[in-house]
Amino acid sequence: MISLVRTEFTKAARRTRTLVVGALLVGLPALIVFALHQRNNVRQANAGEGLFRLARQSGLLVPAAVLGATSGFLLVVIAATFAGDSVAGDSAWGNLRYLLMRPVPRGRLLVAKATVAGLLIWVSTFLVALAGLLAGIALFGAHPVNVVAIGLQISEKTLMLRVLLSTAYVAFGFTALLALGTFFSVLTDTAAGAIGATAGVYIVSEILDGITQLGRVRYLFPTHYLDSWQSMFTDNRYSHDMIAGVLVQVGYLVVFGTLAAVYFRRKDIRS
Amino acid sequence: MSEPSDTLNDGPGDSRGDAIVEVDGLWKTFGAVSAVEDLSFAVRRGQVYGLLGPNGAGKTTTLRVLMGLERPTRGTTRLFGTRVTPGCRELVRVGAMVEQAAFVPHLSGLRNLRLWWEAGGKRMRDADLDGALAIAGLGNAIDRKVNTYSQGMKQRLGFARLLLGRPELLVLDEPTNGLDPGEIREIRELIARLSAQGATVLLSSHHLSEVEQVCSHALVMNHGRLVADGTVTELIGSTGSVYIEVDDRERARAVLQGLKIVERVQSQGDGLVVELRDGRRSEVAAALVGAGLQLETIMATQRLEDAFLELLAAGDGQPPARVAQAAS
Repeated sequence: MISLVRTEFTKAARRTRTLVVGALLVGLPALIVFALHQRNNVRQANAGEGLFRLARQSGLLVPAAVLGATSGFLLVVIAATFAGDSVAGDSAWGNLRYLLMRPVPRGRLLVAKATVAGLLIWVSTFLVALAGLLAGIALFGAHPVNVVAIGLQISEKTLMLRVLLSTAYVAFGFTALLALGTFFSVLTDTAAGAIGATAGVYIVSEILDGITQLGRVRYLFPTHYLDSWQSMFTDNRYSHDMIAGVLVQVGYLVVFGTLAAVYFRRKDIRS
Repeated sequence: MSEPSDTLNDGPGDSRGDAIVEVDGLWKTFGAVSAVEDLSFAVRRGQVYGLLGPNGAGKTTTLRVLMGLERPTRGTTRLFGTRVTPGCRELVRVGAMVEQAAFVPHLSGLRNLRLWWEAGGKRMRDADLDGALAIAGLGNAIDRKVNTYSQGMKQRLGFARLLLGRPELLVLDEPTNGLDPGEIREIRELIARLSAQGATVLLSSHHLSEVEQVCSHALVMNHGRLVADGTVTELIGSTGSVYIEVDDRERARAVLQGLKIVERVQSQGDGLVVELRDGRRSEVAAALVGAGLQLETIMATQRLEDAFLELLAAGDGQPPARVAQAAS
């Protein structure tokens, strides 16, 4: 299993696409922080709310602001790419049949591919946070944050802990996407189709989640609890929604992970 | 249901226990379309066995099922006596190339070989890397990305990959497709060399000359069904005609005209051309020798191509021709 994960990781990590994504995930936070710093210097009144407004107080909060800016679309597309390409990429190259003509159980190969996709999603999320943290400290310094709305100050140590927790929560928030992407990836031999379907489900989920008339059904959408972590900074509290968010993600993992495994084990490999 | 062990004849290994590939009553359907229908055959140790048929005959589907890539609709396939399931252990003893060789395009040839080998949980030091690289013959190009390779280079790298584990059985699907004449010759010589070293080969092709040159045995398929099987010599001789030279041509003519398997006897040069209804050359030879004639030459006047086309024409709607059985 370890050798399978290692070989799959090597294949994914050595792709030009992965290197471009890495550069983007480092460069974009740096650019955002630089823009934020410039806006801070000209002292615009009412220039932004929420995490970005707070982030100007301390570089330690910049990772949270950058995560908030990227987790709604950019990271979704990147995660969908890693997940949707996991099996379908090899199919498209015609290489999948050569992997499966060895004494390698299909279930094990699928787990290895999903593990590598998941690992890359986590690395991507932490890369965004780390790039934001380093750029933030460089431009804003490392200070406590005063949350004026609730009249409290959050210390440096607490900030760091919460940044770590929020990054992990955002990364884990892509678990449903990982499961969906892997499922679509075994359904089709076209990587672009699997990636598009995965990202499409998330976009549709976000749109439907905005329709409050749908009521409690929205609580089951994979995107419903994605931003729950922000309460740690804006309200200085750990929201119960974060636990609900984790449970929803686990639910998607179980359901679509099982579907993917069952389908892949029975699938005729024709590419 | 046919019994392959009863229908295949001479060549290395005659007992069912020697069969390292067994296909028994195999059906594979895709919706309403049957790709393979009730196919049975066996490949014994040391044989170079050709799957022959036009495009769409069901050759590749048969090999896919054999390698565990596709599930049979009905019937069974066995490798080394073990029923094939996806990812089964016996696959470690097989080197396979199904359709064209395919690789991870952004990695070098060498890294592709390493990753493929290690993905099976094996250590690189257990692989015959030097031997495989020698066969690939790619030189410094082995360190180049595969997406810069020509089709011929990919095919050679594919051979290197399947030989890494020193396989006992080679399963090759149209191995010379897309290659130039020089590369085709190289691949055929390689197959002959591997066979001489003891490897068993199951090779599908629609290139009749390839099967005729490389294979000891062959099975003809059409529309997913078995049309005929036997040794290549028998397939060629099972239909059409043979040319003979004997010491007494007129007496030979009289003997041959008395045989049921003979359709017509005509003079040609110093010999006779004997058109056969059925049977094989050995029966003609046996009859002549039995009559006290001295048989100096006997050879098929047709190539596999002629036999193949005749078998296909005769095979539509007919039960398969068990060449060896019919001749024995």
